Amino acid sequence: MKKSRTPSPPRLAQRIFQWWAGSADTEDLLGDLDEQFVYNLQTKGRRRSQWIYSLQVCSLLFSYALRKRKRAASYSTYYPNNSMAMLQNYFKIAIRNFQKQKLFTVINIVGLALGMSICLLALSMFVSIFRFDEFHTQKDRIFQVNTRIADRNQKDLYASTFNAVGDYMGEKYPFIEQVIKIKSGFNPEIHHQGNLMSFHGYFAGSSFFETFSFPLISGNPATALAEPFSIILTKSVAETLFRDTNPMGKTLETATGTYRVTGVMADLKQTHFYFQVLTSHQTYEILHAGTNLQSDWKTYRNNYVYLLLKPNTSPEALRDALAQVSARASEFNPDRSIILESTKLARIIPSWSISNGLGVGWDLPTMIFFMALGLLILMPAIFNYTNLSVARALRRAKEIGIRKVVGAEKNQIRAQFVVETILLTFLALIGSIFIFKLIQTEFLTMIIGADSLDTSLSLSVLAVFILFSLIIGIVAGIFPAMYFSRLNPIHTIKGEIKSRSGGVSGIRKGLFVFQFFVSLVFIIGVGAITKQYAYVLNYNHGFQSDNILAVPFQNIDKQVVINEFKTHPDVKAVTAASNLPGLPLPIMVDITPNEIDTLTVHQVFIGEDFIENMGMTLTWGESGNQQRSTRNEELVLVNEQFLRSTAVFGAQQDSLVFSLSDGTRCRIVGALKDFNFEPLNELIQPLVFRYSLAESNFALLTVHSKDIKKTINDLDAIWTGIDQKASFEASFLDDKIEQAYYFLVIQIKIFGFLSALAIVISCLGLLGMVSYTTENRTKEIAIRKIMGASNNSLYYTLTKDFVKLILIAAVIAIPFSYFFYDMVLLRVFLSYSDGLGLPEMVLSIAFLFLVGFAAIYWQTFRVTRENPASNLRHE
Amino acid sequence: MKGYLGEFEELVLLTIANLGSDAYGLALIRDINERAGRNLSMGGMHSTLTRLEEKGYITSHLGEPTRERGGRRKRYFELTNSGIASLNDMKALRDELWANAKVNLSI
Repeated sequence: MKKSRTPSPPRLAQRIFQWWAGSADTEDLLGDLDEQFVYNLQTKGRRRSQWIYSLQVCSLLFSYALRKRKRAASYSTYYPNNSMAMLQNYFKIAIRNFQKQKLFTVINIVGLALGMSICLLALSMFVSIFRFDEFHTQKDRIFQVNTRIADRNQKDLYASTFNAVGDYMGEKYPFIEQVIKIKSGFNPEIHHQGNLMSFHGYFAGSSFFETFSFPLISGNPATALAEPFSIILTKSVAETLFRDTNPMGKTLETATGTYRVTGVMADLKQTHFYFQVLTSHQTYEILHAGTNLQSDWKTYRNNYVYLLLKPNTSPEALRDALAQVSARASEFNPDRSIILESTKLARIIPSWSISNGLGVGWDLPTMIFFMALGLLILMPAIFNYTNLSVARALRRAKEIGIRKVVGAEKNQIRAQFVVETILLTFLALIGSIFIFKLIQTEFLTMIIGADSLDTSLSLSVLAVFILFSLIIGIVAGIFPAMYFSRLNPIHTIKGEIKSRSGGVSGIRKGLFVFQFFVSLVFIIGVGAITKQYAYVLNYNHGFQSDNILAVPFQNIDKQVVINEFKTHPDVKAVTAASNLPGLPLPIMVDITPNEIDTLTVHQVFIGEDFIENMGMTLTWGESGNQQRSTRNEELVLVNEQFLRSTAVFGAQQDSLVFSLSDGTRCRIVGALKDFNFEPLNELIQPLVFRYSLAESNFALLTVHSKDIKKTINDLDAIWTGIDQKASFEASFLDDKIEQAYYFLVIQIKIFGFLSALAIVISCLGLLGMVSYTTENRTKEIAIRKIMGASNNSLYYTLTKDFVKLILIAAVIAIPFSYFFYDMVLLRVFLSYSDGLGLPEMVLSIAFLFLVGFAAIYWQTFRVTRENPASNLRHE
Repeated sequence: MKGYLGEFEELVLLTIANLGSDAYGLALIRDINERAGRNLSMGGMHSTLTRLEEKGYITSHLGEPTRERGGRRKRYFELTNSGIASLNDMKALRDELWANAKVNLSI
């Protein structure tokens, strides 16, 4: 190609200038530039002239002249000064449109309201958690001492600290006003009207109520925790135990002693502490008289220290003090690196990741996961809005065309649609708050510790909700707004837009597939967990669980009641145990196989014939000789896991001998085949069976009876014959185990609810899409019908696009959910599960298809039934 | 408000007066380049013109389109009365200073 004779100015510089100047008036500037370029050409040559041109463009780009002209251009004379009137007009048009397009409005409001409800739940919890412990008047001066411990095996931050730290710091540093020592694990079982009721709480230092601002309903905050064996009850506990009578000064009988009620406090709200009862720290010292806490620089679990600093203490003073104490702690633990840290009271919750936290320990990762789950449900609803907005373009296109012809700029069209979307999300928010209120209590009861959350609708919560829906409105509205602002006014007015919006295309297909993908994943999840629930209930844990009746001993004479039970003809055998197999096993004990290393194992106390009656198998040794324990040596049974765990220590002498932390020497006389003593979500842990009827809490009766009611009544009679005060309770071990898997029921409920939401939202979207596309094709269908198309072929043409998309979603979702549930989720939650099965997958998918096709059929049926002649005449 | 005018602004105003009815952007740049030997950028020149217009010393209007410059119109600048007044103020200030100088300024 021949070069043109006169060289032209550099294209790029011109483009940049024009783009940057936008609508500003630059005619004279461009003219000047051109003229100079032509003039330069005569003397300086092409390259140099172009270079000078570019430089001049640069100087203009950053010049005041252009800035001013741009500013002037943005306030064109067409732009109304009164933007309130414009906003009013947007609202008016939006509301008219909502009224005119009822299907669109209803689908979107319902979808968004459902989708937002879960997010609102998460948000309200977020707001609540971030305001934990804000009510303490001295909160700025209270710190929790944390311990960072690193050794060969682990590196963790603990919320707890060494036993000795509290007293040591209190004596040594004058800027500390109060030290509050708290020990968790005060779990008294209180005898109440013949029943044993267990509560959970803490051992707390005497200045607890002076430091923290928990209101005492009755009792003196200064002396409530001063005496050993004094107990503080929360209001709800006081009401269960004493009903209307005043509990002050009353005594409570427990296995560890008699406690005197010295105070009643309000139920806990908005705090990281989580307890029902409190007793004094001195009680702990008396109950564990053997241990000297003040010199214990080794144990750091379940022991918490809070410091109340004097006013105006500098943060450096505390930091230096903690560094000194860390150095002291390191002297006692030469093989570990120890750093003490402090956390401000209000910052304890939410924690990012901390071990051994006091209370429920709301951590951010869980909350973020919950929020993400909410957003996952909300996203399909947002996609619905986007999809349907674009699909109904036909109806709005003319309006936009006229607006543009009259002089609306792109920005204004965009603003109009975003405002409209925000208005819609606000309407949805109102509905969403109703749903939120409905599901709130149900959901919160499923979450442990949620009773201390304050999720009522306060002003700040509402503000967060409104901000949230504003963001959702913008996110949902931006894509349709862009689409509409780009429409060509000539096309819209001529009606050419019609053919383009007839099908489902491009990005909308992707969004559609994503919706059904999410729905499928959730519904397969429901199937997976339901199957696990059935599976664990029928799983052979490794012991016999049917026909076993568990009876708590209460205060009855254990040996007598066992002997008496044995006399009943239906009772085949009786044994005893401290914990029921198949239920969580909280009791741990430290053992040492070689006097150096320690290992934490589970321990269970059992009675005579436990192994035989429960149908457990021994791999070697025998169980019958446990009673022959001597004072020097206790004979115990262990499981195989125990032997594997101790094998790594390489015991010097007898590998069958180990000692417990209290000094008891034990000899292993038998090993049990590994079995799941705990629920299947726990791994099989090292376990030691010790023989002790005194420590046993349950009688386990093997019962073969034709009339179980009568048998239980007989047993009750035997029981009452021995002791009238203790009450007889019997429950089948099977039922107890089923209760232990209640967490799976909760998961089924949550997943069921979430998938119901996802499916409803996706199907609403499907309904809307089908109805809009069929509506756009009314004429086409009428002509097809006149030409002799059968109903079936019409169904086929109308539905094939959607069916294809649902199938694509299924093709993606099936391998994904298989991997996700089978490989990840179930393996994490249930250590011994059999994974995901084919039938649940097929069933879940079939269910979704059924619902989806029903939605499609409903809409297409309407269109195909109509009289083609009236449809043709219609337009 | 004597002497409010900047040195360069004064130069531009006087050049506009010199060019008369042919005072547009590029012509001003060239003229100042020839007379004062200053190499001006287009951005600098137009910014100063904009500021002078804001201050009310000059007005501008677009001319007729011509064949050269691709048919684009030129923007012509004219002094306003207040522009002329401020030039006079400036001159009076200068004359006063020259007249009262204690040092012999003549070469």
